[in-house]
Amino acid sequence: MSVMSKLKEVAVCLNAGRVTLPYPADPKPVPERFRGRPLFDSVKCIGCAGCANNCPSREILILDVCQEIRVLTYLGRRCTFCGRCAEVCPEKAVTMSKEFETGTDKINDLHQRLELFMSTCQRCGRCFKGQSPLEALKMKGYRVDDLANDRWVFKSTAYLKGQPGLDDLTIELEG
Amino acid sequence: MAISKKIQQLKDKFGPAIQQVDIPGDNRLIIYIDPASVKPICQYLFRDMNGRYVISIGCDDRPYSGKFQVLHNFAFDPDKILCSIISRLSGDKPKIDSISGIIPGANWAEREIKDMFGIEPVGHPYPKRLVLPDGWPEGHHPLRKDVPWNEVPEGFDETREFSFDETPEGCTVVPFGPFHPTLDEPEHFRLYVDGEFVRGCEYRGFMVHRGLEKLSETVLGYNDVPMMAERVCGICGCVHSVAYCQAVEAGAGIQVPARAEYMRTIMLEIERLHSHPMWVGLACHLVGFDTLFMQAWRIREPIMWLAEKITGNRKTYGLSLVGGVRWDLTPELKAETRSVLDKLESEWIAVVSAVSKDKNIMARTRGVGIADKSLCKEMGLVGPVARAAGVDIDCRRDHPYAAYDKLDFKVIISDTADVWGRLIVRMNEVFESIKIIRQALDKMPEGPLMAEITEELPAGRLGMTSVEAPRGESHHIVITGDDNRPRRWRVRAPTYQNLQGIPAMIKDQRLADMQISLGGIDPCMSCTDRMETIDIRTGAKKVWTKAELLSLSRVNKG
Amino acid sequence: MNMIVGGAVNIGMVLVLAPFFQGVLRKVTARIQSRQGPPVKQPYLDLLKLLGKEDIESGEAPVLQRFAAYLPLAVLLTVACLVPMGFQAPLNGSGDAILLVLLLTLCGICTLLAGLASGSTYSLIGINREMMCMMTLEPLFAVAIVMGAIQKGSLRLDEVLSGAVYGPTGFALSGIAMLVIMLLAFQAFVGRAPFDISEAETEIMEGALIEYSGPKLALFHYAGMAKLVVYSALFVSLFLPWGSQLPLPVSFVLFWAKVLVMVLLVTTVAATHARYRIDQAIRYFAIMLVVSLVTLAAASYGF
Repeated sequence: MSVMSKLKEVAVCLNAGRVTLPYPADPKPVPERFRGRPLFDSVKCIGCAGCANNCPSREILILDVCQEIRVLTYLGRRCTFCGRCAEVCPEKAVTMSKEFETGTDKINDLHQRLELFMSTCQRCGRCFKGQSPLEALKMKGYRVDDLANDRWVFKSTAYLKGQPGLDDLTIELEG
Repeated sequence: MAISKKIQQLKDKFGPAIQQVDIPGDNRLIIYIDPASVKPICQYLFRDMNGRYVISIGCDDRPYSGKFQVLHNFAFDPDKILCSIISRLSGDKPKIDSISGIIPGANWAEREIKDMFGIEPVGHPYPKRLVLPDGWPEGHHPLRKDVPWNEVPEGFDETREFSFDETPEGCTVVPFGPFHPTLDEPEHFRLYVDGEFVRGCEYRGFMVHRGLEKLSETVLGYNDVPMMAERVCGICGCVHSVAYCQAVEAGAGIQVPARAEYMRTIMLEIERLHSHPMWVGLACHLVGFDTLFMQAWRIREPIMWLAEKITGNRKTYGLSLVGGVRWDLTPELKAETRSVLDKLESEWIAVVSAVSKDKNIMARTRGVGIADKSLCKEMGLVGPVARAAGVDIDCRRDHPYAAYDKLDFKVIISDTADVWGRLIVRMNEVFESIKIIRQALDKMPEGPLMAEITEELPAGRLGMTSVEAPRGESHHIVITGDDNRPRRWRVRAPTYQNLQGIPAMIKDQRLADMQISLGGIDPCMSCTDRMETIDIRTGAKKVWTKAELLSLSRVNKG
Repeated sequence: MNMIVGGAVNIGMVLVLAPFFQGVLRKVTARIQSRQGPPVKQPYLDLLKLLGKEDIESGEAPVLQRFAAYLPLAVLLTVACLVPMGFQAPLNGSGDAILLVLLLTLCGICTLLAGLASGSTYSLIGINREMMCMMTLEPLFAVAIVMGAIQKGSLRLDEVLSGAVYGPTGFALSGIAMLVIMLLAFQAFVGRAPFDISEAETEIMEGALIEYSGPKLALFHYAGMAKLVVYSALFVSLFLPWGSQLPLPVSFVLFWAKVLVMVLLVTTVAATHARYRIDQAIRYFAIMLVVSLVTLAAASYGF
């Protein structure tokens, strides 16, 4: 009988009581494994670029200013919080924090930039050894100094004639 | 045994047309055939050998073998075999006989092959553009290997409009979509309505193409793709990432450790546990019953919290990598899982017993959206839609993957073939999922979570897998490649086939039943539209967005 | 003098209390659905927000749209003046029961006007459904009023709207049967689930109201809220008149308490039912209508 099933449904509802949580006044704590915004620790980082290599969204970029200085930037625009960077880092320099309230109107608020001094080799005095396994993997497109050739982070071009092109990377990395 | 019998049957019937046979795994069959006999062979497989049509795929193999390939995939569910019939075509404007005349379910797949590769299906009953946007120039086929992934084609005509079919006699047009409050994703059903009855419909979709398959071939690596595959769909993301990994593992011959298989099983079932109550709530919302919508989602919420505790995110689990999984279950998490499942089960029993006798809901869902067994066979319908019609298929039992062959569960069938049947099937599948997770928690062995992969994966191997998503069979194929990325990846979501059955399901039904019929297949547009598109930057305030809206509203006028 | 004061009180009470009752409806619905729900003053805020928006005129006939926006609320407020809300109706004597029936039908036609003025496919479907519902539903109220008129032997409003259906004995069987029928059909009169077909949001995108936004939409929503109050008031005065003879402050409070009870009843039924399809709803109303005609015949024979 339909009335009985309606009454049973009402019983289900009333048993539950009120379940609305009072966020943001009293936010529920996030669980331990929660993958929030990644935080890069410049003290622990050794500049291996493993994180840049494995970021599916190519949001971590490497720029070699000179032999000894490597700049690592986390742009955070398309970051999907997958946690691969934290997983592959050999020095545990990347941690997935508990922060998820990352809304902002300035893209640079999410930007993290590490300037790393790369020590030189005691034998040969150079920082890099030539064809490293990293380069052998040929994961192009994540190096800021190689953008002209084979970009993943691309320069938006006009797709219709007469519209101006835009260098979005310059806009976003500056200022 | 069953495989060699099937090969023998085909060889006896078709002789020299069968060029080469590969048996890459226990239950996988790859047959290279002479393209001229593709129609009779597919007809024989479909009708006489009772194969189920899965999907047709195109592949540009010219850099390696100089030819295009067209794969027609079939499944023999009782024998647990997945089979692929491959035709190799040469030339720059290849042609192949269309099989849509015999197998209506191949309609979209062949149009997609035409759009993406330029392979012409000769004799296709409805050769209209399916996937590419209206202004896209002819002759520019995105998935070909010589087309860069980020190229904007010359001659893109932004003013060109979509041309709809002729309206049948005596009908008015009711546009349903692309913006509609019922469904969150854009799709356009142009309904031809006679009074309150729907006499026909034209579907136009693929408005949310994202170019995933092209990206996987060109810029991503093997282990980046699972993160992207997870974002194919916001409800069955885990299914797509696991299916991709399984396809690569099948092709490259990687053995996943047992603990990882159980972990994948548990997370896949947790995903089913979040999807089905969500659908029940949505179906009730579609018929105007908001209270049950709220209750079903309230009961589902602890599953989302549980997933967040195990994987770090409510929905994008980030679970699979090629060769294993990333997250593990501690004893505390196992205990937590068990208590969440107990609570869910007790509340769900109350909901099922209330809903299954509710005449109000029955009145809105009985006899609505009928898809009987013959329609299921013709269009290749899968999942709860097919099971509600009495078709006994379920990939977990028929093409076992992960740890399902070691677990014991029932396949829920109904026989009413309408939305009510689908409601009953989905509600009861929740109990089966709970049973599976409990067994997996008990039987899970200790061990590593990732396979040791010490050398590069071999290139050119074809791996196929079918995973049972909450909506039906999700079939992935991967052809492994060099340079640390696949050569070809094809995602066939269950909604791809189920949507093709919609025009038949809503014909001669009332307009008011349109929503719940569409909702009954549990459509997931983002799974369906996942192919190449123009990569438009919307970073700057571009005129494009306004023009896009303008052209859409022009199209939707009446 | 009395008429003006009484009219002001009636109209004022309806205008002030209609959003309040809607707020109560939303809050109780939310609690049935296990959630917090909006504060009870939310409909006031919604109306204020809508009134502050830009008044866009789209659709086939903008002039008719303007007219159609004001009409429902105006008609409902007029009906409010004809109903005794704790004291004698202010417009008592200016019209009889037939005027009441015609005004109520006019209110239903307003939605048709609104939909026709828009001219979009969805609004035409919406008014199609509304028309079908009206044809089978409005006669029900007319039958109830006529039954009251037959029992009292007069068409005067103050006589009909004081529990006349229960006849001279006060417990006529036909009166009680009519009460049950009206209770069963009440949801449809006020346009709530399971009979909110013509405004089914998920199905036809708001139906007749699709082209209205800003202040005009505010007026339509206000009219919808006022409809709930006015119809409940009519129901209370027709079928639950007990206590209206008490001195003024008590009868006033008692009247509004009864209306609150009606609103809660509507809420509970609305929260626990799915929407019916138009053909199922029409079948339901047709059955109600036949039964009510039989009851009317019984009343005229003195039962």
